[in-house]
Amino acid sequence: MNDHRKARLLWMLTAGYRTMFSGAIAAMAVGYVFMFGVPMVAKFSIDAILAEELVVPAWIERLGTLISSDLTVGMFEYLSLAAVATVGLTVLMGIFIYIRDRLIAVASEGVIQRLRNQIFDHLEHLPSRYHDQADTGDLVQRCTSDMETLRVFLAGQVIEISRALLMLIVVLPILFSLDTNMAWLSMASMPLLLIVAVVFFQKVKSLFLEVDESEARMTTVLQENLTGIRVVRAFARQPFETSKFAEKNADFRNQNTRLIKLLGLYYGFSDLVCLGQIGLLLLIGSHWVIEGALTIGTLFAFLTYESMIIWPIRHMGRVLTDSGKAVVSMGRLAEILLEPIESRHEKFPPMPLRGNIEIKHLQFAYEKGKPILKDFSLSIGKGQTLAILGPPGSGKSTLMQVLMRLYDYKEGSIKLDGSELSSLARKYVRGQVSIVLQEPFLYSASILDNLKTGKPHATLDEVRLAARSACIDESIQQFPRGYNSMVGERGVTLSGGQRQRLALARALLKRPPVLILDDALSAVDTDTETRILSALKSSSVEQTRIIIAHRLSTVMHADKIAVLHKGRVVQAGNHESLSREEGNYRQLCEIQGAIQQQIEGDLDEPSLYVPGAREASREKTARKSNLVREPNE
Amino acid sequence: MSEFFDDENYNDGFDDSYKRGMNLELWRRLLSYTLNYRFEVTVLATCAVTVAIADIAFPLITRAVIDGIASEGKEFDLIFYAALYFAFVVLLATSVAGFIWFGGKIRTHVSHDIRRDGFLNLQNLSFSYYDFRPVGWLMARMTSDCEWLSNILAWGLLDLIWGSTVMFGIAIAMLFMDFTLAIVVLSVIPVLVWVSIFFQRRMLKSARKVRKTNSKITGSFNESIMGVQTSKAFVKESENLNRFGNLTDEMYSASVLNKVQAALYLPLVLILGAIASGLALVYGGLEVVWGTITAGTLIAFLTYARHFFEPVEELAHWFAEMQMAQASAERIISLIEAESAITDSTEVQQRISQARASRFADGLALDGLLDNISQIEFKNVSFSYDVGSKVLDDISLTIKEGESIAIVGSTGGGKTSLVNLLCRFYEPTDGEILIDNLDYRERSLAWLQSNLGIVLQSSHIFGGSIADNIRYGKLTATDQEIEDAA
Repeated sequence: MNDHRKARLLWMLTAGYRTMFSGAIAAMAVGYVFMFGVPMVAKFSIDAILAEELVVPAWIERLGTLISSDLTVGMFEYLSLAAVATVGLTVLMGIFIYIRDRLIAVASEGVIQRLRNQIFDHLEHLPSRYHDQADTGDLVQRCTSDMETLRVFLAGQVIEISRALLMLIVVLPILFSLDTNMAWLSMASMPLLLIVAVVFFQKVKSLFLEVDESEARMTTVLQENLTGIRVVRAFARQPFETSKFAEKNADFRNQNTRLIKLLGLYYGFSDLVCLGQIGLLLLIGSHWVIEGALTIGTLFAFLTYESMIIWPIRHMGRVLTDSGKAVVSMGRLAEILLEPIESRHEKFPPMPLRGNIEIKHLQFAYEKGKPILKDFSLSIGKGQTLAILGPPGSGKSTLMQVLMRLYDYKEGSIKLDGSELSSLARKYVRGQVSIVLQEPFLYSASILDNLKTGKPHATLDEVRLAARSACIDESIQQFPRGYNSMVGERGVTLSGGQRQRLALARALLKRPPVLILDDALSAVDTDTETRILSALKSSSVEQTRIIIAHRLSTVMHADKIAVLHKGRVVQAGNHESLSREEGNYRQLCEIQGAIQQQIEGDLDEPSLYVPGAREASREKTARKSNLVREPNE
Repeated sequence: MSEFFDDENYNDGFDDSYKRGMNLELWRRLLSYTLNYRFEVTVLATCAVTVAIADIAFPLITRAVIDGIASEGKEFDLIFYAALYFAFVVLLATSVAGFIWFGGKIRTHVSHDIRRDGFLNLQNLSFSYYDFRPVGWLMARMTSDCEWLSNILAWGLLDLIWGSTVMFGIAIAMLFMDFTLAIVVLSVIPVLVWVSIFFQRRMLKSARKVRKTNSKITGSFNESIMGVQTSKAFVKESENLNRFGNLTDEMYSASVLNKVQAALYLPLVLILGAIASGLALVYGGLEVVWGTITAGTLIAFLTYARHFFEPVEELAHWFAEMQMAQASAERIISLIEAESAITDSTEVQQRISQARASRFADGLALDGLLDNISQIEFKNVSFSYDVGSKVLDDISLTIKEGESIAIVGSTGGGKTSLVNLLCRFYEPTDGEILIDNLDYRERSLAWLQSNLGIVLQSSHIFGGSIADNIRYGKLTATDQEIEDAA
């Protein structure tokens, strides 16, 4: 994306607030006219005092004669008038500065609020494909710190730049009207100052970047250490970690110090130029005063004006660099906003689904040339339970996500009650199909609010019924604040099994026509699992269920069992038929059955949990869950 | 990166209540980090004072020049004053560069040192500390809080020295030049102080609201991105946007309020300055006419009246910053000073240093006892996290060298806790764990943990290559060893 387009996007964002921005700049211009009046008052006063003669600008004299034709003014009255004028001008200026600040605050905060809401909404509607490849940390950073950079630009730098320009536009005519030679003199160092400022900040831009990168490296080491503190301790690697961090920490410090040294050099030098400029005015101005070409009052006015305009110009280099940063940030935000969102023009049928699913010759790939599902066909009747087994990477979860319309398929067909899935609105499909994941995401809200996610107006009785079906009611009751306990970092710590059961209860409460359990009971012990499954079976809701699992005990009672391998159905049938057939299913029966018998013999305790292979999905979520604390049992 | 963890809403739940007033003891402890750099602090203070002196000197030079011209005309030695002026310019510019260098050095070093100490302590704190402090919370302390505090500790200190010197110096200079006129100008100060306190209090409050809401917004973005699949699956998009919209509404009103307060405060300070100038103009002007003071003195007064108020704003700003940062300061100090519940006892430490002195005999561990473990025994072990119900109740178990033990149990049955105890991530609340009949609290922690290999359910993968990750357990591993382990 080129700068031109970014600038245009920035322009578009200010729609509706442009009058306010212009109003703010106009208010500032008026304010400065008053502000520049103050040294004028002082000039006339000083000259009057020194000449002991009341010099009054012609127009004020005319104004005075309007009030009274024979106005006699003594020095005290004259000076009092000047003092009142000084205060009056400052009050007027203050009013306009206030108007400026208020307008700019309302405008910049308004633009940013709108942009925040817009980007939040956009993110929620971007396709899963986008979120898969995006890095959470990076996205959050764009939405927060890039947004902040933009906000500072709108609230501060827009004003800074206009201020420097206005200063020049308003002050230069005044200076030239006072004294042409002095006016030229007072501008002597400005080109130098401006060039040095801009060149310097262009140069240190790369250093700013290096500091940022160095900080990011340090933060990464720190974050990895803290998230993996269990591993660090388990391997007693504290000394190794400490020296690794010390290196990054010192590097960040040194880079930062290097940058600050350069900044110190720049500010020292520019102070030299600025004060030198003022000194030059004082020196040559005094010389002209001696020559009688200049009054002392005018010299004072020049000295005051010079210090008003020169510092904003020195500041320009920094402001322009920061504005450059705002353009970069704008671009990073625009990249998100220009990503196309999920389609939402499909039809939204009025009737709920009955739950017939028919998949025919489905092909699906995340990346071209790496198909996950190949010529995949399978059908489930309404009210039936389908169990899916298969090694990691066989396409089980992918199939479920395609069913939820989180991903779009291009070849083959999926029909829900006879309608092609891709012709149904996403929100309709997701409203009808509920999925429970192996590592469910819970909002940092109360348990009750989490459960009510799928049905916001559910009564407490309904919620508890669902929780009982998912065998989690009892555990919730034991939390200090029961259903009102908070989930997440500020609240109760939930074990993996508890999280899974909460997610199940959340899905059950919605009473969807299609329920998918994607390895959703893996961390639940077999006893509890049996209770959950029988509760599901005896529930009155007619529901099509798809259960992905690794445990025999979970899948054997399903109406239909499909075994997947490398994106294809390699076996389908029920427990009876499949255990008689040569194949993966029977192998599984033999392994799990044998271990079960052996351990049951040893322990004389029926509950058994054989950890299955369920690591593939973990890798996908590992990055996203980096910030989430490991629950401990 | 730092903004990402910024800031308070990985939040707390620990201290929502900002205390009123200043906790000086806290700042004194933090200041000791700054005072480690005695030389730099001395230079910084010298530079600050020099800048302040130059700030005070310029109007005096201007005064001398103007008076000289007025009285001596062409006889006036302009060159001398020009030289004096430029000497001060060079002095000032050097001091500015100097205080940026040394202030910057102090800032980066202090932040580095706080982080270093924090990190070191975090490596030794027991897991019970981590149980109540999420990673995001710790990150915020170690990144943005560190930077924020070191900023205050370096630049705040500088402005404090500079500001008070300037105000003090200007007051002295004015009082010496013309006592009555000085009193007239300075009479505005009480009003200024009152106005500053009035506004800073309110601005502080609204600024806190902005910070809080801002971190809530960060949290919201984070949650919405992490949970995007779930939100889609439950068709929560519009509800989420609604809730987020409430947050940004809050943010909008808090920020606008804060800025409107500032927009009122700044003009008021300027107007007070103008009143001081106006008073100086009337009374000083008359004095010039009476011949009591010179025009140069009047001009110096007019300039001083403008400059005198600049430090007030700066100081008020830093004071507000300090109040706002106080909560962060408390948390960082508590992080650095937190004591690990589990450490090597003094007796064990003694044995370790003795063993180190005798340069490890073969077959001995770093604590001087036998390196080989032939039996681990849990003896009537009970355990509970914090004050909750017992997770393990009177467990006894013996494991001999070479044995494989499988632990089976329902969710929440205490399997992981058992392992955590074995690793001494936690210690039993009752009973003991014996290694070769010796309570494991009498062995070195580092030795114990380096002799364990654990595979966790939620595995944590560090950045870097796969080989790096596998090598993690044994830094000296060869490529062949890595392949075998895989």
